[in-house]
Amino acid sequence: MSTTAIPNDECRPDRESDSQATGGNPRHRLISDRKENALFHQLRTRCIHSMLRTAMATSRLRLSVLIVLSAVFWAGLFLLFAEGFTLLNGAITHLPRRARMVQDIYNVFFMTLLAMLTVSSSLIIYSGLYRTDDVRFLLTTPASCRRIVLFKFQESLVFSCWGFFLMGTPMLIAYGAVADSPWYYFALLLPFMVAFVCIPVSLGSILCMLVVYFAPRLRFHLVGIVGVVGLVAAIWIGWSTFSAARADVLTSAWLDDMRARLQFADQRLLPSWWLSCGLLEAAHRETVPGLPETWRESVMFLGVLISNALVGGLLVGFVGQRTFRRGYSRLQGAVSPYRSARGSSFDRWLLAAMKPMPTSVRLMIVKDLRLFRRDPVQWAQFVIFFGLLALYFINIRRFQYGDNLQHWINMIGFLNLSVVGLILSTFTTRFIFPMISLEGRRFWMLGSLAINRDTVLWSKFLFACFGSIVPCASLILLSDAMLGIVTHAPFVAVIHQITCWVLCIGLSAIAVGLGARLPNLRESSPSRIAAGFGGTLNLVLSALFIITTVMVSAVPTYCYLQPDHAEALIKAGPTALWLWLGIGSIQAVYLSLSITILLGVIATVIPLQLGIRAFRRLEF
Amino acid sequence: MIELAGITRCYGDTKAVTKLDLKVPASCVFGYLGPNGAGKTTTIKMMVGLLRPDEGGVIVDGVDAMKNPREANRRIGYVPDQPYLYDKLSGREVLQFVAGMYGMSASETKDSIAEQVERFALSPFIDRLTESYSHGMKQRVVFAAALVHKPQVLILDEPMVGLDPKSMRLVKDLLREEAGSGTTVFMSTHTLSVAEEIADCIGILDHGRLRFLGTVDELRSELATEHGSLEDLYLTLTAEIGTETPPPGSPEMAAGAE
Repeated sequence: MSTTAIPNDECRPDRESDSQATGGNPRHRLISDRKENALFHQLRTRCIHSMLRTAMATSRLRLSVLIVLSAVFWAGLFLLFAEGFTLLNGAITHLPRRARMVQDIYNVFFMTLLAMLTVSSSLIIYSGLYRTDDVRFLLTTPASCRRIVLFKFQESLVFSCWGFFLMGTPMLIAYGAVADSPWYYFALLLPFMVAFVCIPVSLGSILCMLVVYFAPRLRFHLVGIVGVVGLVAAIWIGWSTFSAARADVLTSAWLDDMRARLQFADQRLLPSWWLSCGLLEAAHRETVPGLPETWRESVMFLGVLISNALVGGLLVGFVGQRTFRRGYSRLQGAVSPYRSARGSSFDRWLLAAMKPMPTSVRLMIVKDLRLFRRDPVQWAQFVIFFGLLALYFINIRRFQYGDNLQHWINMIGFLNLSVVGLILSTFTTRFIFPMISLEGRRFWMLGSLAINRDTVLWSKFLFACFGSIVPCASLILLSDAMLGIVTHAPFVAVIHQITCWVLCIGLSAIAVGLGARLPNLRESSPSRIAAGFGGTLNLVLSALFIITTVMVSAVPTYCYLQPDHAEALIKAGPTALWLWLGIGSIQAVYLSLSITILLGVIATVIPLQLGIRAFRRLEF
Repeated sequence: MIELAGITRCYGDTKAVTKLDLKVPASCVFGYLGPNGAGKTTTIKMMVGLLRPDEGGVIVDGVDAMKNPREANRRIGYVPDQPYLYDKLSGREVLQFVAGMYGMSASETKDSIAEQVERFALSPFIDRLTESYSHGMKQRVVFAAALVHKPQVLILDEPMVGLDPKSMRLVKDLLREEAGSGTTVFMSTHTLSVAEEIADCIGILDHGRLRFLGTVDELRSELATEHGSLEDLYLTLTAEIGTETPPPGSPEMAAGAE
């Protein structure tokens, strides 16, 4: 054949093909924008209803834990902010001065939020629009690109909003409560917040679509550059704001100095300024003679925010209509489907370093390390969370502790230990716990090898231990070094390190053991495995283990370093028990260390034993 | 009718499809064959609007899919290689959504869904959430979704994967039936016996170029072989290509390329 056309006589025509060229199935037409909107709305509603029904039927424990933890977190933040604003009220009695100070703080807070929401929403919309199966499906239907983009934009808005609500509402409500604000301040909070969030999410969405459209090959480079510039800016602003820390905190001179440093956020063209002004206007009962009433001013700022949010939504739809389909296609062509995966010298070095271990264990550990390294979702979260902690630890000396250094050192050192442990527990739940479930889907490979099943579990455990001890112990060392514990109280630093190692080993064992005991072999998504009953149980048990271990370790050390607190504790009761434990003495510290290690042994042995037994019996 | 006019598509530096010309008329079942990585799915993605060709154009049922992708999609029913269904919807809800997207009225939707449910024997599970479906169940619902709006062009990417023998028989009969009623059927497959059994015409793609276009008999004569199944012919052809790939524009094999 020399032609590319298939002659009609090779087929069996029963219908006139010419008639189709004018309009497809004549009964159907492209649906109107309103009908399309209604269909997508119905789709969303049905999915949410179904999801809630399933969650109520199968994940009540998880939902309850989530709600309770969120409520506790919210209440904690509320109390913290209420205390802070009360302190500010006491320290700055001059009302206009206090209002200006609060506005400066709000300006900085909302401007930071504006930048963070813009970046995070661009990442959320990127994964939602360009990396999901449902969009791939929708693009093959007659759905308009505008509708698809707006559909995902709404999702991105919800994802961005809930964090803001969880973090922002306790602060704003606490301010209103402390400032004795009128009812409409509280009523306006929600519209203000929603309107504000729409603006950065629109901006982030538009930026994302334009980057994918114009520079699909350079998207990661651009994100990297923006990330580095943002980090440098944040460090510079943080440094210039909190450097040259002074002892005369909350004095008039300090306030003037601090206000001058915060002026960079006083930008009237930014939505953050409109938000802070609008909220503060609503919060004040006083009306200045000759000026509009405060609530009117507030509603005016709300109007500015809403109109900008609506324009943002329109622009998202417009840019989506113009760029999305072509950008989607360009993105697919931006990278070769074939990704090379060469072995690294680090793997070879690691294999050599683990020589005393059985070969099968070494190979399994290196395989898991490769999977981890080649999955940006895993290491990116790891780097972001532990990186933020490292930044906090490095800057910990910027806060002033006054003369009560010993008291604060002990408290903050152990609190840092708890934070590291809690973050590690989220990682072990998200990444270590699902490993066995995921291995189950590939078990045809491991099952056909001449290795003991226990080897699989031991290798996961060792991988998790190595992977957690190195960063966590380093972070605790950094925290202790920045707090001066390493030089002033090396004994406490050793206690921190021992507790940290116990936490890492115990959390790894809990995740591996429960992962083998409660696997979900039908699920291929690690996040869904982690979100199930097993994952939730793992998170709860890990949290209990962390709290118990840190308390056992912290209280005797604290009492040993602060004898007056030990006496107060003994008086508060149960006196006999504290006296029997010798609280306040070095012996009690040694005893607590022994109990800490014992707790670690229990948390390691029991879950691993349960896991190994279940894994031996498991049928794939 | 489907018309691909000199389409080329690259992924990075890799050319997935190179200057592909192809016309598939109405009422024809076209079997699109080729080894793994030959560019079959890329070609299909260009037809359904997921990818734009770097060069060339795609006409679906008289509509330029580059200029008017929504109108082109309205004429297409698509069965992807990896079926996607909304996990938290039932099969019926998925079909209702798809019918709505194609502008069908409530009564048309109801009748058409009832027809597809009966045709693909979906009634035992159509009202269950799709997250609980097996691969075969999902595939049957995807077929129903592709046909619910009675498309003029049916595009199927590896449609037989995951189907039991009874469902395979059903699909084969269905494709012939659709072609018989005037629909253009474009099917990529590795199941050569299926292509041999139902395709009016086959195209063999390799390394992004169309190496053969015609009937099985024409392939037989091209290879100067009087006997042998499509499988034998296919293996002979792809083996020849593997040993001596013709340069672009070579007239000997490249019926559709260049």
